Amino acid sequence: MSFLAPLFFAALAGLLIPVLLHLTQREKKQIVRFPSLMFVRRIPYQSVRRRKIQNWLLLMVRMAALALIILAFTRPLLNRTDVPTGGAAAREVVILLDTSYSMGYGDRWTRAQAAAREQINGINASDRGSVVLFGSGADIQLRSTSERSRLQATVDSAAPSPSATRFSPALKVAGSILAESTLPKREVVIISDFQRGGWRGEEGAKLPEGTTLTPVAIQDPADKPNLTVTGVTFARSSFSNQQRLVVTAGVTNRTEQKVSGGSMTLEVGGLTIATKPVAVEGGSSASVAFDPFIVSGRNTRASVRLSEDALGTDNTFNFVVSPIEPVHITVLDRGTAASALYLTRVLSIGESPKFETVFRQVDALTDEDLRRSAVIVLNDVEVGAPLAKRLARYVEQGGGMFVATGPRARWPQEVDTLPATVGQPVDRTRGDAARVGGLEYGHPVFEPFRAPRSGDFSSIPVYGYRNLTAAMGAQVLARFDAGTPAVVERRVGRGRVLLWGSTLDVSWSDLPTKPVFLPFVHQAIRHLAGYAEPEPWLTVGQVFNTSAVSARGNTVQRVVLTPSGRRLPLDDEGTDVLELTEQGFYEVRGDANQADAIVAANVDPAEADLTPMDPNEIRAAAVDAGAEATGTPAGIPLTPEAREKNQRLWWYLLVVGILLLGADTLLSNRMAKA
Amino acid sequence: MAVEVHAIPGAQFMDPAVLARIGNLELISRAVADGFINGLHKAPYFGASVDFAEHRGYVPGDDIRRMDWRLWARTDRYYIKEYEAETNMNFSVLMDVSKSMDYGSRGITKFDYARILTACLTNLVHHQRDRVGFVAFDDEVVEYVPPSAKHMETVLHVLDRLKPGRPGNLKGPLHKLAEHFGRRGVVVIVSDFYDDPDAILDAVSPLRFRGQDLIAFHVLDPTELEFGFTDAQPFEDLESGEQMPVVPEAFREEYRSLVRAHIDALTKSFAGVRVDYSMLDTSKPLDHALYKYLGSRSKMMRIR
Repeated sequence: MSFLAPLFFAALAGLLIPVLLHLTQREKKQIVRFPSLMFVRRIPYQSVRRRKIQNWLLLMVRMAALALIILAFTRPLLNRTDVPTGGAAAREVVILLDTSYSMGYGDRWTRAQAAAREQINGINASDRGSVVLFGSGADIQLRSTSERSRLQATVDSAAPSPSATRFSPALKVAGSILAESTLPKREVVIISDFQRGGWRGEEGAKLPEGTTLTPVAIQDPADKPNLTVTGVTFARSSFSNQQRLVVTAGVTNRTEQKVSGGSMTLEVGGLTIATKPVAVEGGSSASVAFDPFIVSGRNTRASVRLSEDALGTDNTFNFVVSPIEPVHITVLDRGTAASALYLTRVLSIGESPKFETVFRQVDALTDEDLRRSAVIVLNDVEVGAPLAKRLARYVEQGGGMFVATGPRARWPQEVDTLPATVGQPVDRTRGDAARVGGLEYGHPVFEPFRAPRSGDFSSIPVYGYRNLTAAMGAQVLARFDAGTPAVVERRVGRGRVLLWGSTLDVSWSDLPTKPVFLPFVHQAIRHLAGYAEPEPWLTVGQVFNTSAVSARGNTVQRVVLTPSGRRLPLDDEGTDVLELTEQGFYEVRGDANQADAIVAANVDPAEADLTPMDPNEIRAAAVDAGAEATGTPAGIPLTPEAREKNQRLWWYLLVVGILLLGADTLLSNRMAKA
Repeated sequence: MAVEVHAIPGAQFMDPAVLARIGNLELISRAVADGFINGLHKAPYFGASVDFAEHRGYVPGDDIRRMDWRLWARTDRYYIKEYEAETNMNFSVLMDVSKSMDYGSRGITKFDYARILTACLTNLVHHQRDRVGFVAFDDEVVEYVPPSAKHMETVLHVLDRLKPGRPGNLKGPLHKLAEHFGRRGVVVIVSDFYDDPDAILDAVSPLRFRGQDLIAFHVLDPTELEFGFTDAQPFEDLESGEQMPVVPEAFREEYRSLVRAHIDALTKSFAGVRVDYSMLDTSKPLDHALYKYLGSRSKMMRIR
């Protein structure tokens, strides 16, 4: 039984009132002056006490009435349900089995399986059991069955995965299973090594009320030597037109013992490049630098491997190396050195990526140029209709175009590709020069300037600009102080067009002489080219956007080849994301079964930290302590009638209390008359 | 010679509570005594104090005025006439004025009742030309009016002034008074006798020993007899101030039996020393007391 308003128990102090009244009334009673107590004194005193008990009866009636009324106000709640419960009520047992790779340490996995089997053996015919394997996510392997053999088989076939431990998703899954259960008793058994890293405590995983949570800790002192590769860093250099890469791997020893005599091997493209000895003090880290090697082809698979130790999963670290590929740019220019001076300088700088720029006159643009270029820059040139159409087609197929509009810029009306209509020039050489403001810092082009003191556009004077009128579907990224658009972007087909309302030289503005010019142009080119830094590796549990690696015009059905050799077909939408669940290399294959992209997947190095936590922490957070202690089959959603029935007791208490008060009145009246 | 004690038809005696309201003791005593006497007028045996008792032979030295010459004429012998008693006897009332007497539940306190009784008796006796005296005592003698035929007014005056106040004790004052009462007479003790029967007997014995005719009037309020309380209350002893919780319902029967036993013990004890004892209920009219007195007087004469 519980109480909805237990604070009313404080009113029980009010029970003292009748007692006090009784006592004080007795005290205040008029003293009878009697000639002599000679005879009274001779009467034994015990009779007085015996007599008092009859008055106590009245007092007890009053106190009982008060107590019942107070009890009614506390709204007692019966925790009973109409579910028939025998001596051993049927249980819904959810076994959460940790399959994170840390379970592979020593004999932990064997012991975890044994513990799971033991739990399964405890499941009776009337019980139901579920097996949930969890790492960073949770997977219901077998749901609510009484067949122990199937449960056993599920446990037997399970194996540690390369994922990290996260308790919260597992508890949520267990909660969902239990919430749907109609059995009166609910139990969750977590079999895990309870790593500290797997629980952040604030994740809001709550089990239904009345659930019993039993942690089974598979822990042992982490005294066996274990090294972990935490990551690699690259140092690139160019040497006689060849890109060389120096790989430095980080190694951590999280145990107390010093590890020496180990080795680390670097493999590139399936070949062992070098092997280095490794020695790490207990509880410290070290780094191993390998000799430079030449990166020959794109998407070269590489790994560093440690020699075997107690936990093998974290010994291998995979990554993908590619020679850095330049972004090809074609600049359509008037052919004068002055007009392209600043642009030339800006585009000649840059390592990641490198820009390879080709300057062409408007009439000299070839199809080859268009095919090779990721971005076309129109630097204040007049574009005729045929060229405009070619460019429009180029953009629609995924190309990028940067348009700077100076006094000569012209674009045929009939080709609707530009993000804005280019109007008449505005001369701001007299009076105050124009300023650029209203920047869309959320856009990738201006994102680097979001932070304070990271570039100020508003201080740049612009003496002349074209009056732009944004087209339908275009996004204005910046405006001049007069309110007309300064930078406008528009998606056309699969490509993008960015329009700058002034020039890229100093004839109309001071922008090329300002520090923001270089990052602005670089960001714009990167954005238009769709350039993204290639991720040399991802972590198991992360998702990989396969559409990011799709090539332009690629319409062939693509597949993903997982490290274990499975082929996963991707649909044509281009929005498919793939969750990495295995350690190794994923291949995205497209045309002619060629690898479009290779993704290296590594285990989370944090999982290698075997520091244990107190399982009760999880229990305290996930289970309502009061409800668990009662062991009631709560959590089953009761019907409103049943809920009302459980609360109805207060009504009876109140009626009995009032009846007692009535009886008290009658009784006291009768006694007074007597 | 006997006095029949019975209610006289047509005679209406006054309620003591009504009498208490009158206030003037002389008036009260006269009203009561006159009414009583009038009522007794037809009684064949009225008074009994100067009657002839016997003859005895003359011895030299006897007063020759008391010679019965008629008998000498018939028998030729000298006889002296002896009379029953002194015509003018001493009559004293010893009234207990202790604090316990200041109790009354029915409009009249025991003290007032005792006062009226004393006044009435005094008046009655005064009518018979006897000498009346009065003593008030608690644990010592408070007032003393020596017996005299002229002291009727004084006694009433003293009675009027009296106020109960202190705890009482029979023994001390009574022993002292026994020495004072040299001349034999009638002594009436009016008290509530809240003491051990043996102690009371011990207190009155010297008086009796010196030849006084003792009449003990035990004045009690009906509540003291019935113990008709209902509520559980603390009770306070009027004399000692001692308090104790009392649940009357539980006490009543036992209390009554104790009081009865006390009265019985007193009756027995007083009878043993030939003291006429009677218990007076303050709710009853005074004529009972007066009958009692006269009845006892006649009895005493008869015995003698």
